[in-house]
Amino acid sequence: MANLKPPLPRALRPKPKGPSEDNGKAKPGRKEKLAQKGISTIDWIDERTALSGGARWVMFRKIPRGTNWFYTLGSASLFAFLSQAVTGVILAMYYDPSATRAYESVRYLTNEVFLGEFVRGMHKWGSTVMVILVFLHMGRTFFYGAYKYPRELNWVIGVVLLILTLFMSFTGYLLPFDQRSFWATTVGVAINGTGPLVGPYLNDFLRAGPEFGVTTLARFYALHMLVLPGAMAAMIGAHLYLVARLGTTAPPWLKADIPADSRKDGT
Amino acid sequence: MNTREKEAYLREYSILKSQGKPFFPYSIAKDAIMACVVMASIILMSLTLGAELGPKVDPTTTTYTPRPEWYFFFLFEVLRVVKPPSLTPLAAIGVPTICMILLFLLPFYDRSPERRPERRPIAMAAAFFTIAAMAFLTYEGANAGSPNQIDMEAPEAVVAQGAANLRTWESGKQVVAQSGCLACHKIGHNGGTLGPDLTAIGGRLARQAIARTLVNPTAPMPAYTELDEKKRDDLVEFLAQLKGGEH
Amino acid sequence: MFATTRTAARLAHRKSPRDARFHFVARERKQPKKKLTTEEAQIPGAFEGETVSRRRFMTGTAHAASGIAVAAFTLPAVGFAVAPVFDKQEPRWETVGPVGDFPDDTYVPRTLTLVRGIGDVGKSTVYIRKYNTDLDDEERDEYNEFIAISTRCMHLGCPVRFVAASERFICPCHGGVYDFQGKVDGGPPVRPLDRFYTRIRNGNLEVGPRFSVNSELKRFSPRDPGMPLDGIGQYLYPARPSVRKLPNT
Repeated sequence: MANLKPPLPRALRPKPKGPSEDNGKAKPGRKEKLAQKGISTIDWIDERTALSGGARWVMFRKIPRGTNWFYTLGSASLFAFLSQAVTGVILAMYYDPSATRAYESVRYLTNEVFLGEFVRGMHKWGSTVMVILVFLHMGRTFFYGAYKYPRELNWVIGVVLLILTLFMSFTGYLLPFDQRSFWATTVGVAINGTGPLVGPYLNDFLRAGPEFGVTTLARFYALHMLVLPGAMAAMIGAHLYLVARLGTTAPPWLKADIPADSRKDGT
Repeated sequence: MNTREKEAYLREYSILKSQGKPFFPYSIAKDAIMACVVMASIILMSLTLGAELGPKVDPTTTTYTPRPEWYFFFLFEVLRVVKPPSLTPLAAIGVPTICMILLFLLPFYDRSPERRPERRPIAMAAAFFTIAAMAFLTYEGANAGSPNQIDMEAPEAVVAQGAANLRTWESGKQVVAQSGCLACHKIGHNGGTLGPDLTAIGGRLARQAIARTLVNPTAPMPAYTELDEKKRDDLVEFLAQLKGGEH
Repeated sequence: MFATTRTAARLAHRKSPRDARFHFVARERKQPKKKLTTEEAQIPGAFEGETVSRRRFMTGTAHAASGIAVAAFTLPAVGFAVAPVFDKQEPRWETVGPVGDFPDDTYVPRTLTLVRGIGDVGKSTVYIRKYNTDLDDEERDEYNEFIAISTRCMHLGCPVRFVAASERFICPCHGGVYDFQGKVDGGPPVRPLDRFYTRIRNGNLEVGPRFSVNSELKRFSPRDPGMPLDGIGQYLYPARPSVRKLPNT
């Protein structure tokens, strides 16, 4: 009868000994106790979420040999996005998206708030850096042929991310509400409008009316800090999942030298 | 790619992958160092270049010269050089849309299994052409001056002739900038290309010829008869001194 | 669907609910009239006279209910965002000064409030002059005793400037040039500069809503910059419900 019982669920199987039990000393030291606490907390979470498998899958997957510094451009873009997100949230704490007060709020935040100009500068130049990184990352992917089978879908998602990045910089450009931003936006909206048939309606939608009006700025603000970043975060998630699932490409000129010397370096 | 080529790639890749190193910590270490570099450059730019706020928005202006953020300069330049009005929608939204669609569909029309850059001559040629075109357009766009002013230093010949001549030259420059010449004519980096380039007009036309053209021009150029004598003289003097060369 | 050709085979060897689903897709398309009840379709556990299987009913319910739930927040949100497109703007008239202020051989700039409630951002500059009988040849009516020209370039909306010396409107962005009447003189603009209706009330000039013109200066409902009005342009870039030209003009 005993062997008919189903096996013990994985989460309940005995765990390997922790540092406080395994060090051979009679009494565990403070350090071991602390480490044990950490381990049991993670165990508690893992027993309920089973996240460790996924984490292991992502973190300890192998990256083909021959990867170089150009492969860091993707994560650098992601990092620039994170930096933009955090500085953006801080700026949002001071910003007032109303046509009459926006400029004043940006002036206040730039000139009066502690580190205000620094944070706004980080957001402003971060956008430039992010655009450059995204383009470089795309260039690397192109030159290495990394958009080919089986990674076509990831390329498509990447192009969507590029478009979203450019839209982010377009909508964000209006927000400081100085001369530059107003006229750049006027031209940008007009460019939108030159699309036949849909153009005129698209413009009215973007501006919330036939002229630059009371709620235009709020509309751009909502797009800039809710709609587009949300879409980008989702797309970045899909992009990363596919990277982990399909693996990073090896440099195209690298040939696999099959078992002859059956190398096993590094791991 | 057919099934055999797909299989060949997947096999090759799995071997390369098995010979690789784990993502953590090897790749993460590189990524983290790169992240530090990125943050260092952002912070450095923020500290050195700051976040200057321009003048307050003023839709009633008639003197402001709008310019886009630098990474849109290429589009700005395309919009400037595409002159026929019938092509305006094409330049404004057609070309960018087509480029994005081409980019979007890249893996679906470039289906060869070859990945090495040196064996994909068409793709590489297209890429280098695109990059070169973007770089050229960005450079041109960045240097496109306003038609309401002239960014030009007085040539040495004028400076050598003394302060009075320099004053005339400067005031002539002012008159040219304010009289709408640059709407059609190019002088140095400033101005349009509807009419002849005036950057070296002084080398081509004599002083009197320039003066005559101003009063009695060929259509569609308007006659500058309303301009008062002094201003017209300064203008002619300025144009006559434009010999090209460095600007 | 690939399933359709194998319907008969699937009926005979149905193994899993998945097969049953394929079968229903197939049946709907190919033989909608033949098997009315689930019993006839030989679905296991069918009730007598039952026309829709429980699985199919629940599938339909799942789709319909989730569809309704999503639509319940999407439609109002989209409607709310799109509503301004259909929000009709009433024409407003603004006094800009006594009629004597405006000669017929040059333009006088005046500031106009296009949108109220947002301070300076709702304002715009217009260039105004009297109708010049030597120059202007469009039909005269009560709205063009004075010509009021908008300062938005009709290429992409940059601020144009009137330069009296050359009698041209000059755009600083992409090289657009307009002549004294606002017609395109060169460069990429797709149509003449937009105009505003003007009328005289008690010796004062009033400026009203904007309208667009084609190269013959025929009036059209206001368009945005970059939209041509000659040829098929007016159909490719239709007038919007939010702003119209005045009736009978």
